[in-house]
Amino acid sequence: MQLRNRMVPWLWLAPAGALLIPFFLIPILITARNSVYIDDPMGFLKPGLSFASYAKVLSDSYYLAVFGNTLMAAAAVSVITLVVSYPFAWLLARSSGSSRGFLLWAVYLPIYVSVIMRVFGWMVFIADSGMLNQMLVKIGLIDHPVRMINEVSGMTIGMIHRYLPLMILPLMTSLQKVDDSILRASANLGGGQWFTWWRVVMPISLPGAVAGTQLVFAGVLSDYVIPTLMGTTKFQLLAPAIYYEATTNAAWALSGAMATIVIVVVASFLVIANLILKRVAPWASI
Amino acid sequence: MGQHLMAPRSHLSPGVPSRFFAALVVLFLLGPIAIAGIVAFSSGNRLEFPIPGFSLRWFAIALSKPQYIEGLTASVVIGLGNAILATIAGTGAALALSHYRFRGRSIIQALVMLPIAMPAIVLGLGLLFTLTIYDMQPGLLAGVLGHAVLGVPYVVAMVTAALSNYDRSVERASMNLGVGPVKTFFKITLPLIRGGVIAGGVSAFLISFDNISLSLFITRGDTLPLRLMQQLLAYADPSVAAISTLLVLASLACMVLLLPLALRRR
Repeated sequence: MQLRNRMVPWLWLAPAGALLIPFFLIPILITARNSVYIDDPMGFLKPGLSFASYAKVLSDSYYLAVFGNTLMAAAAVSVITLVVSYPFAWLLARSSGSSRGFLLWAVYLPIYVSVIMRVFGWMVFIADSGMLNQMLVKIGLIDHPVRMINEVSGMTIGMIHRYLPLMILPLMTSLQKVDDSILRASANLGGGQWFTWWRVVMPISLPGAVAGTQLVFAGVLSDYVIPTLMGTTKFQLLAPAIYYEATTNAAWALSGAMATIVIVVVASFLVIANLILKRVAPWASI
Repeated sequence: MGQHLMAPRSHLSPGVPSRFFAALVVLFLLGPIAIAGIVAFSSGNRLEFPIPGFSLRWFAIALSKPQYIEGLTASVVIGLGNAILATIAGTGAALALSHYRFRGRSIIQALVMLPIAMPAIVLGLGLLFTLTIYDMQPGLLAGVLGHAVLGVPYVVAMVTAALSNYDRSVERASMNLGVGPVKTFFKITLPLIRGGVIAGGVSAFLISFDNISLSLFITRGDTLPLRLMQQLLAYADPSVAAISTLLVLASLACMVLLLPLALRRR
């Protein structure tokens, strides 16, 4: 009976194991393994232990530019979404009734609409002869239409649109923990608005900000759709580059090395963010 | 209200500037979706907004394109297969993790949630490498299995939430009365956590239906999002908006139908 009881949780876990071990764990391990194999010019992957792929990826100016572009885009989109999300999530956390329902709906709806449809809408809106350019010319901000589609600017707009809800939602969750009584306490003790924000609201909301930044950062880092549909070949990003190396070039070791670097970047970002969080906001349990 | 006297006003009711800001953000979030939805009803041949006139012809064109219909079929098959697998695997894992204390529990908890954090492009690449080892071809089966991996953490999260306010004494009573564990699960546990299980399965389906990064590597390029992407890259016409609008309406209908089922108590 004792033995049987000990088996029970593992029986419940069996289906997940049967799925995740062969189709999640092993693929990740094989990616790491391939990254130290050698790409044969004949198109075969030769076993071995070589860091040639890493050396190539981390020294060749093309790959360095791809990594640099991607990190830059991820950082820019994270910062912009964070700045936009804070006041909006604050408003959302303090609103109630039908206005809250509407705002929440406006944040959730884009998540449920396919990314293709969202990109399509932007393509129409920011096109050379699109509504945005027409409006900007009419109010005199620009003399002639600016090219945004298939440029870095258009791609960034598309990414902000794709990832903004992922920043707003965790921020809102943590901002909801800022109780009115805490604000009143701070005000009654003489804390001004800035003091209250910096010393009360910001620390309480930090876990949400960190969680949102992690989601957005990792999302941009591995985004394939937006760079492909809205980006430009002059500003290559990582996910399309990995796909290209793996399929068109059949460079499995090289693409394996790039993917392994992505995992390392995402994992170290997670670890560093959580370390900072533990230091700055030790009460937050993530 | 005493609160107004004691707290700075701005903390309680938003002023005009913040309302304006909120309106801008909402416009930013919903605007492109609305534009795409409106262009689907365009009578023109080009992508133009505002549309020259109202017509349903792009819906007819979209529904007569074989590549869209094939894509839709592939996506529905992969979505349903993945939802079934992810729901079974995820529900089992959530039960094991929240009802039992055992060695390695925290590692397994991290492992089942890891597919959310893993960049999809990396997982797709790994599956591309691995499929050849299993002697599998990219296609429907590979798509179902790969997408199910992505669905598991969502099912685990939602079933775990449903289990958090679940009283195990009913289950124990059932077992003590001599009802077997399998019958207890289907008669007692499952009905009580039904909302979480349905929500998890629907999430797995929706995530699969919109997936591109994984499908690129493990399908034959025949899922609907991939077909729509190819169309957008080659020649963008309002048929893409028409089919997307139909999908939004379909998923709204699904939610309206499934929500009462998920929320119904006991």
